[in-house]
Amino acid sequence: MSPRDRTWVDLIAVADLEPGDATPVTLGTRELAVFDAKDGIFVSMARCTHGAANLCDGHFDGTFIECPLHQGLFDVRDGSARAAPARVPLRMLDARVENGMVQVLI
Amino acid sequence: MAQDVRTPITQAMQEGALTRRELKALMVRSDRPALIRVAGFGLALAVTSGLIWLAWESWLIWPAMFLQGVLIVHLFSLQHECVHYTAFKTRRLNDVFGNLCGYAIILPFQQFRYEHCNHHTYTQLKGRDPELIELPISVWTYLWYISSVPYWRNKFSQIARNASGRLNDEDRSFLSRHEAPVIIREARLMVAFYAVVLLVAVAMGWTWPLWFWILPLFLGEPVMRAIRLTEHVGRPNVDDMKENTRTSLVTRPMQFLCWNMNYHAEHHYAASVPFHALPALHEKLRGYVYVEKRGYLGAHLDILAQLVGRKPRSDAPKPAG
Repeated sequence: MSPRDRTWVDLIAVADLEPGDATPVTLGTRELAVFDAKDGIFVSMARCTHGAANLCDGHFDGTFIECPLHQGLFDVRDGSARAAPARVPLRMLDARVENGMVQVLI
Repeated sequence: MAQDVRTPITQAMQEGALTRRELKALMVRSDRPALIRVAGFGLALAVTSGLIWLAWESWLIWPAMFLQGVLIVHLFSLQHECVHYTAFKTRRLNDVFGNLCGYAIILPFQQFRYEHCNHHTYTQLKGRDPELIELPISVWTYLWYISSVPYWRNKFSQIARNASGRLNDEDRSFLSRHEAPVIIREARLMVAFYAVVLLVAVAMGWTWPLWFWILPLFLGEPVMRAIRLTEHVGRPNVDDMKENTRTSLVTRPMQFLCWNMNYHAEHHYAASVPFHALPALHEKLRGYVYVEKRGYLGAHLDILAQLVGRKPRSDAPKPAG
């Protein structure tokens, strides 16, 4: 699929997000994590790249999400792995808010 | 990438044991509770050090050193909390205290961290949980484990192996090529540190590290081994957190010493919940985890009952059908 073929898809209403926290959302077969972060709304794949636990059950401080299983750490703004044992960055999805809905570009 | 896993806390939330908002409130990090507890430990160590000093020329130095040792070995509990980055608010402070405790009790921090990751992933599963303590085959092997001789033998050989850069198959089960150099460097630093301490002590004619630190550590370790036995030993070797881990209800002084790690099943359910919130998590998970109401003593009675045949062994094969 070329970038031109991608389209914005509604994911979840902003009002339904856990305020200041991570919210798990399913889009088709994809498990996504929506972060209501200090710097805005960010969306990533929900599974930790190290142990495959669902990051939405981890500790979120507004910028960094910590895996609930092994405490690997990711920056939700760019998906970068910030502390071991996580090494592989999170896959992020382009996200925006339109008319009160979080949308992702897929 | 690893296969998707359902962590115990995910399972607990899906089954309605607690909500995400309740979990988030429990996961809040703070320096204050840990700093208060560290100060308490410092005070207690000052008292027991004073007892050793007062008993210097007497046989009473041995019970005094034992008391000091009981405190020193419980630095493991702080190190364990630091491994999970839950003792303090910042990762840096957890790393600092985790390493300090590691040097005090001869347990490399990063090595323990990586090993402990697999312990949480594969709790009580034979051949996969690197921290699994097998249910002893007899009362004698139970006492032999508590003596700490097997523990120290394993610990020293592990540090020597890591320092020489020769990892074995078990090490490789929880260390990738990225992590192996970290723990090899860590072991070398640790060996160098103890060598320097030894050289300085000999050069200066100091014996106090022996009487205030090393001998108490060895005298106290059986207490920690006995506590570690209560966490999983005698529970089934199954992939079910409701069954494979034991919470023991203990006195407040004991809770202080062990940093609330008696709430062990709750800790395994949500390792991101700091020690100071475990009593609250215990209330939330009441009826959801296995609890030994008689405390550590009750856990040992349970284990011993299995060893002498009064109770079926937890590791006995289940009858077919």
